[in-house]
Amino acid sequence: MSKMNQGGLEVGAGLVVLALSGAFLAYGLEAAGPAGSSRGYDLTAKFGEAGSLAPGAAVSVAGVKVGTVAQITLDPKTYMAVARLSINPNVKLPADSTAKITSDSLLGGAHVSIAPGAAMDDIKPGSEIDNTQGAVDIFGLIGSAIRPQAPAATPAPSTSTPAESD
Amino acid sequence: MIRPIPKLAWKGVIKRFEGRAVLDDLDLSVAPGQSLVIIGGSGQGKSVTIKTALGLMRPEAGRIELDGRDVVGLSEGARRKLFSRVGVLFQGAALFDSLTVWENVAFRLINADGVPRKQARERAIEALDQVRLAPTVAHRFPSELSGGMQKRAGLARAVVGRPEILFFDEPTTGLDPITAAAINALIIDQVKRLGCTAVSITHDLASARTIGDEIAMLHDGRIHWRGSAEDLSHADDPNVRRFVDAAGLSPVDVRAREIV
Amino acid sequence: MTATQAARAVAARPIRSLGRSTLAVVRTVGAVGVFAVRGVAAALTPRWFPNQLRRQLVTIGFFSLPVVGLTAVFTGAALALNIFTGGGRFNAEQVMPQIVALGITRELGPVLAALMLAGRVSAAIAAEIGAMRATEQIDAMRTLSTDPFRYLVAPRLLAATIMLPLLTVVADLIGVAGGWLVAVRVLGFNPIVYIRNTAAFLQAWDVGSGLIKAAVFGFIVALMGCYHGYNASGGARGVGRATTHAVVSSAILIFASDYLLTTVFTHAS
Repeated sequence: MSKMNQGGLEVGAGLVVLALSGAFLAYGLEAAGPAGSSRGYDLTAKFGEAGSLAPGAAVSVAGVKVGTVAQITLDPKTYMAVARLSINPNVKLPADSTAKITSDSLLGGAHVSIAPGAAMDDIKPGSEIDNTQGAVDIFGLIGSAIRPQAPAATPAPSTSTPAESD
Repeated sequence: MIRPIPKLAWKGVIKRFEGRAVLDDLDLSVAPGQSLVIIGGSGQGKSVTIKTALGLMRPEAGRIELDGRDVVGLSEGARRKLFSRVGVLFQGAALFDSLTVWENVAFRLINADGVPRKQARERAIEALDQVRLAPTVAHRFPSELSGGMQKRAGLARAVVGRPEILFFDEPTTGLDPITAAAINALIIDQVKRLGCTAVSITHDLASARTIGDEIAMLHDGRIHWRGSAEDLSHADDPNVRRFVDAAGLSPVDVRAREIV
Repeated sequence: MTATQAARAVAARPIRSLGRSTLAVVRTVGAVGVFAVRGVAAALTPRWFPNQLRRQLVTIGFFSLPVVGLTAVFTGAALALNIFTGGGRFNAEQVMPQIVALGITRELGPVLAALMLAGRVSAAIAAEIGAMRATEQIDAMRTLSTDPFRYLVAPRLLAATIMLPLLTVVADLIGVAGGWLVAVRVLGFNPIVYIRNTAAFLQAWDVGSGLIKAAVFGFIVALMGCYHGYNASGGARGVGRATTHAVVSSAILIFASDYLLTTVFTHAS
């Protein structure tokens, strides 16, 4: 009687553990796969240096998360990192906003921080954020500071991309 | 006179435990179809006698012959074939706790003989009937049975394979007189039905007299006396005398009681 | 006896007892080795008892899930906190997910799951088989023409060797999940980035080496339970002793083999 109940409890507990590990596996596989958001509109931003920015990283305005980095690809013509950002549909950004790759600490946590501009118009979904600043290469900077005569390890981190003619 | 080959014979068997010779040059034989009872005090080596014959223990020296062929030091495979001709009722029945009673009784059939489960169950219930256990007992677990019922189930398990020799290790020990008498009756019944040879060990004299055609007394590792059940009462070997007197209803010498 | 003889006798005592202990250890190692060989032979050659194997797979595998899951989630969470603290001293907190995943898949997943099984399964096997030995059930089984190594030992060896790697997979998943939960809820990590960094960093061999370890540990756990149970003597106290010995010897062998295997695997990769 109580032995049977105990047996049922054990079977239940075992099933719960299996279910939890299966759920986490499914979640992990989904998260580790190509990132994408069903809701939200897309914006692109081109950076000279992506650093450790990876898909899934946060996009934030004033420290508040407003979207995620969906994809990072390389523009074959300009050799710049093209980031596709998926932004919360409730958040509208001025047309002259700046996107900057910043990080929580020295060794990681790279995410995109958007500083809103002052323009009257908003960026249209699907268009590009023109003003960008790529990731800062700390070790390159330290290296060039210690050995100033050595050729610069990386190009200047800050780039603003004027409208390009393709 | 040509003596027929004994069914089972111990010849010069020596078995030591920690230097002490529990069996010391033991010579004993059982004729086919006979029921031999080995009696003796506790710790005298009665169990060891059976276990060496079964191959559960290996003697240091001597031969043990089954139908004239030495069975000491057999390979596991050959011994398994030997076991198919043998049935054992252990002290305490030694039923498998995790199996039902019928699965216990049919254990040999299912696991060694490859009999299909349905058929094995039928034969098991038949065997249980032989030892006067109702079919309802078949689906219970050994822990739910009384000591007497467990012994009966153990007996059913021993006889279901129609063995040529039956071994009984203290069949009535720990049972009340009524149940003991019932077990004795069942043992006689089964031995007669199967026409097999039987070797029992016990220190219950009443049981020995009931089930044994012949009785042998084991003391100091060897057989001190052998005879029929009637001869037991007027044996003149002093060890036998002490044993019989201690078990008997006559006033007993206190010193003798302590020794036995 | 002269004074010199007496003095020599006294001096010889510790040496004699050391020699006796060494011989005892060697004898035990030999006995376990013989037992293991018999068990493996019974497991790899017919005749098999599939019903018994099935029972053991469920008992050893499925019913160990709760204890393995609990162990893993708390270990993963605690490990995440500690690695985060350590990483913080180098301003390297962000690599915590990777380190935690590595530690769990290579070491903590298999070892802790094995230790939980040592306590649970090894003890249960020793108690069950020891009790059977004490009540002559093993002798009875032999007289019923059934080899106890094939009926009792082989199914348990096989079941534990198969099941512990599977349990380790669960332990790995739940351990990483534990670290992830703490990281996201308490330490402010981005949940998606945590997973992606972990997945990108982990190599197949990290998980694979852990599973190989688990198979070895499973074999050890079952072997110790069967060996000590099979050789239990002395009634109820003997069964209790067998249970204790099974757990302790399982644990010691798990740690020892873990070190050996880790050394081998470190050189291999």
